[in-house]
Amino acid sequence: MGYDGGKINMSILSRENSERLFWLGRYSERVYTGLRSLELDLSAGDKAKNLCFDEANPETISYSLARAYDNAIVLRDEIGTETFSYIQMAVYEMKNAQRSGTPLMPLQKVIDNIAAFWGMADDIIEDEHARGIIKLGKRIERVDLYSRMNSGSEEIRREIRRLTYRIAKTGLRYDAERVKRLNELAKETNINRQEIIKEVESLINFEEI
Amino acid sequence: MMALAEELHEYSGGVNELLARYGVKFGIYKNGEFHEQLFPFDIIPRVISSEEFAYLERGLKQRVFALNEFIRDIYSDGKIISDGVIAEEFIYSGKGYLAQCREISPPKNVYAHISGIDLVQAKNRTCYILEDNLRIPSGASYPMIARELCRKSLPSELLGKYKVADNRNYAELLRRTMDYVNTGGISVILTPGRFNAAYFEHSYLAELTGAHLVTCDDLIVEGENLYFIDYSGKKEKVGAVYRRISDEYLDPVNFERQSLIGIPHIFDIYKKGNVALINAPGNGVADDKGIYYFVPAMIKYYLNEEPILQNAPTYLPYYEQDMKYVLEHFDDLVLKDVAEAGGYGVVFGNKLTRSQKEEFIAMIKAEPRRFIAQEVIDFQDLDIYEGNSRVPRKADLRAFVLMSDEPVVWKSGLTRFSRNPDSFIVNSSQGGGFKDTWVMTEEK
Repeated sequence: MGYDGGKINMSILSRENSERLFWLGRYSERVYTGLRSLELDLSAGDKAKNLCFDEANPETISYSLARAYDNAIVLRDEIGTETFSYIQMAVYEMKNAQRSGTPLMPLQKVIDNIAAFWGMADDIIEDEHARGIIKLGKRIERVDLYSRMNSGSEEIRREIRRLTYRIAKTGLRYDAERVKRLNELAKETNINRQEIIKEVESLINFEEI
Repeated sequence: MMALAEELHEYSGGVNELLARYGVKFGIYKNGEFHEQLFPFDIIPRVISSEEFAYLERGLKQRVFALNEFIRDIYSDGKIISDGVIAEEFIYSGKGYLAQCREISPPKNVYAHISGIDLVQAKNRTCYILEDNLRIPSGASYPMIARELCRKSLPSELLGKYKVADNRNYAELLRRTMDYVNTGGISVILTPGRFNAAYFEHSYLAELTGAHLVTCDDLIVEGENLYFIDYSGKKEKVGAVYRRISDEYLDPVNFERQSLIGIPHIFDIYKKGNVALINAPGNGVADDKGIYYFVPAMIKYYLNEEPILQNAPTYLPYYEQDMKYVLEHFDDLVLKDVAEAGGYGVVFGNKLTRSQKEEFIAMIKAEPRRFIAQEVIDFQDLDIYEGNSRVPRKADLRAFVLMSDEPVVWKSGLTRFSRNPDSFIVNSSQGGGFKDTWVMTEEK
């Protein structure tokens, strides 16, 4: 099964899979940044735990991880079994965390697995477009999340720069005017986070590909 | 064998951990809900000596060759019927016969590209064929990945001691089978999607063969050809479709009109020879449990050879003398509904209550064509580990035969076992587990 590289045929990519790659990128980033910024005392009680583990609630990390898995499982042939396995292991660790009295330990493993997933995806996916799309999902999600989380202006500017660099490499059709506008917004001294969210969420429209 | 089992046992946890890591699962519907389950793996392999394998190989090649010839004959001249070897009631009234396939020659005249032949070994070591699966036999991916993961988690000196044929060439054989019939263009694996029981296998085989995994929505017939549409809207011609979707859902224009899936008109261009469908539509005519009865006669008829491998002793209530036998020996027989698969529709005569038995017999009398009866074979049980204790369980073997310019028998196979000590049913959909199958390369 070639886990030291794998034979990933990436010459052609269906529209459905390009969309899945994008959402795999977004959801895994949502899990990663969500967990890293988690300041909850999970032992404090059910309410805090629910914010993390209620899989039916779209606001939770468990929900995002389940969606990342849904996309990853149908992309095995695109991203490779080895890359997929890190999402699978993150799912197992999430379940462990839910059962654990000390959930931060298994949750750290979820973070580790997502980080390894990114490393493996970058290494194994040969096709530039496919690799570009999954990374674009991550970059868009990052700008969106940082804006919502009230991260510092410098951090948001940096993420917009990375997004601008990435989006041109995907082969996806995108709104170049909005990218320009996003970069103008980044230059303002008082960053308008609401506007940034609006622009970044309108960059890619899969219906129009 | 004892030594082997004990040596392997301590690594069992490691291999199972890796199987979970790589998502080696199958899907199952319980109360209408979809669940993914790990496929329970037992580390003690089924071991087949090189001598035994050579014998099986000859027999399986012969059998698949005859079955392929039979399908060709049925959809063209039907000589085996006009020569009186098989009564036509068994062909045209069977569910597997597809009238639309008449007079169609698939690329290179291959019908049974991938065959999964189920065998059991009796206590006297005789192998009996239980059934032929010529439509969409699944399962090869499991021993293939299990072997890979064993190589990862077992010390190399342990594996090196045993001379086992490498089974990781399955993807290569499959690729060769697809390439052989490809009519020009890319090869794809067509899956009904994630909620299919064998989705792991579809995606894993796509990864390893380099064929693209597609769903019906990714493919379109335009003009005389089939195309894959990529994300930018570009079309790529498709020359071979290894479809893991059954005949009736393949093409809503030609088959099941109510179907929401399928690729409209794919059958029309297949008829013209512009795309290969793997396996060929209409193969169900040959793997019907009723037709199974006639396979030894088929081998004699088409090849003028004696069958090398035996069928389990089988009776067709359709024939008067067989009906008489079935009624007289009902308690000793296992009865199978020819239309069912996956271990469903299988009834052991001695397990029925008196009233169930009467009901069943009335059903056989009303529809004799629908049932076959077989002697219950005294299986050679295989040991499995349950925790730390070794217990015997019923097991079968699915051997895979891949056809390109000639049939090739894969040097491995899926060994399935029943986890329930009282059960003969080994199907994964009914809670069975699996083992790797080791074909030895030299005698001890």
